[in-house]
Amino acid sequence: MKISVSQYAKSLFESLSGKTEKEVKVVLKKFVAILGRNRDLNKAEGTMEIFSALWNAEHGELPAELLSARELGPTARETVINYLKEKTGAKKIMIKEEIDRKLLGGFVLKYESKVLDGSLKASLEELKKELIG
Amino acid sequence: MSTTKDFIIDQLKSEISGFKAEISEKSVGKVLKVSDGIALVSGLSEVMMSEILQFKTEKGDVAGVALNLEENQVGSIILGDFTAIKEGDEVHSTKRILEVPVGEAVIGRVLNPLGEPLDGKGKVETNKFYPVEKIAPGVITRESVKQPVQTGIKAIDAMVPIGRGQRELIIGDRQIGKTAIAIDAIINQKGQNMKCIYVGIGQKESKVANIVAKLEEAGAMDYTTIVLAGASMPASLLYIAPYAGCAMAEYFLDKGEDVLIVYDDLSKHAVSYREISLLLRRPPGREAYPGDVFYLHSRLLERACKLNKDFGGGSITALPIIETQAGDVSAYIPTNVISITDGQIYLESDLFYQGQRPAVNAGLSVSRVGSSAQIKAMKKVAGKMRLEAAQYRELAAFAQFGSDLDEDTKRKLERGKRLYEIFKQGQYQPLSVAKQVLIYYTLVNGFMDNVPVEKVSEFEAGLYKQADLNDTVLKMIIEKKELDAEIEAGLKKLIEDYKATVDYLIK
Repeated sequence: MKISVSQYAKSLFESLSGKTEKEVKVVLKKFVAILGRNRDLNKAEGTMEIFSALWNAEHGELPAELLSARELGPTARETVINYLKEKTGAKKIMIKEEIDRKLLGGFVLKYESKVLDGSLKASLEELKKELIG
Repeated sequence: MSTTKDFIIDQLKSEISGFKAEISEKSVGKVLKVSDGIALVSGLSEVMMSEILQFKTEKGDVAGVALNLEENQVGSIILGDFTAIKEGDEVHSTKRILEVPVGEAVIGRVLNPLGEPLDGKGKVETNKFYPVEKIAPGVITRESVKQPVQTGIKAIDAMVPIGRGQRELIIGDRQIGKTAIAIDAIINQKGQNMKCIYVGIGQKESKVANIVAKLEEAGAMDYTTIVLAGASMPASLLYIAPYAGCAMAEYFLDKGEDVLIVYDDLSKHAVSYREISLLLRRPPGREAYPGDVFYLHSRLLERACKLNKDFGGGSITALPIIETQAGDVSAYIPTNVISITDGQIYLESDLFYQGQRPAVNAGLSVSRVGSSAQIKAMKKVAGKMRLEAAQYRELAAFAQFGSDLDEDTKRKLERGKRLYEIFKQGQYQPLSVAKQVLIYYTLVNGFMDNVPVEKVSEFEAGLYKQADLNDTVLKMIIEKKELDAEIEAGLKKLIEDYKATVDYLIK
């Protein structure tokens, strides 16, 4: 039977939970050996992706992307982080910031499969739609 | 001028100050893969089944519908130009189930399955929308079929009568008049309190253009809508076309009106659904159709119904069409649809090429519920017509072997020949029910036995002309709907008067 990427990731995650750093190294070595034996090394990348998602869910970590027209100050960043914590119940927000001049003003927040578009560009487009129809 | 300019600017200012850009969270996804009319999308965590998706492409928005909800991805069909969509494009969910515009505004229009105009008459002006997929009305809302749908085709109204709320399949090979029957039925609905919807699925645009022209000529577009998913449109549009047409019909049903809907044809619909299913990697079954191809048609045809008084008393009569290959009714899709519908009109290519048009096969055509919807006068004259017609075919085949026949058989053969002559009817020439009663009355009571077979059509035409000149009897039939002594006397007199004027009777 073929083992799917998510099955690999799940078993890796379970076998790693509660292990010390030394034990982790042993487990990882064995895991790679299993992948090799099953000729599934090409699934390693997908496994890592799902593994990180499982890890994030377990530890309450949430990756998010924040686009803004200008560099944000610490209070603005804090507001965004608090908003996300409240909304998703995550303990730690891993925010990745980027500057995009095309937004003109405001910000765009992306997390999970959601987008919160508070940019000036989007509101102008909305206004255009409203006025012209 | 300055006052108007100031006014405009003031208005604009107040509009802008009143405008509040709302920031709301949107569920988005990314296109992983695009193939013929199908897109795989990641993300979109809260998307619903058959929800409208917006693909944000460089050439503008393209609509799609979510069809496969999987663990990490969503399979969707694309309702538009799928060549514009690229891998990595953003996809927004809209929180709206697929719906079409409905209402009086769709009447007389030619629309695509999304309710967009194909006739160049501009957008459909309506604010009412109905979901394309809907669960059919349940048991308590229904009642049995009791009112007739007059198709105006002699062979059908006599042998396989159709009632309002019935589902009658029209089945046969290509090019032997399946669509013609449906179009004649639509034309004959003039003044009968019926709305008609013709759904063309995978039809040639030239054929539909002809149909529209014919319907306009006959004045039938005043109560008819045409929903067209042409042969060049993607399979996704072909797939939703009958459901969209049915949604438009349901608007009138909810208003308590009667609707006749033609699905032309469901074999192509099944083929387009097979294409979508295979592209979505659903497992193929018999003839490569997916496992739910029965449900595909049963959920559509179940939406045809006759509602009882408490629920408005409206009805949807469905005339699905199936094209067979070389008369094979035991293929997968024909057997499915035969078992779903309340009877079928079976057209035979042999009959068609013998000149018997419409080529209705009396033996294989049935109507399981329609006879209770026939008017009494028709039931009286045409009650055993189907049996007689079927017996005649058998006898005629048998009688070819020998000429020694007893009197009874000879009489049956002669009667049968004339009956089949009467069944012949030109296209776009539907006949009123009163005239049908008249001609069958003439035949059944032996008034036609001394009319030579080759003169039957001439006799028939002349008789109608005579009846038009003095139409009190015909009016009485329509009013009373049954044959009492007075009407019978009137009919007899009419026929005998006419027979006195012709010179070709057999002495």
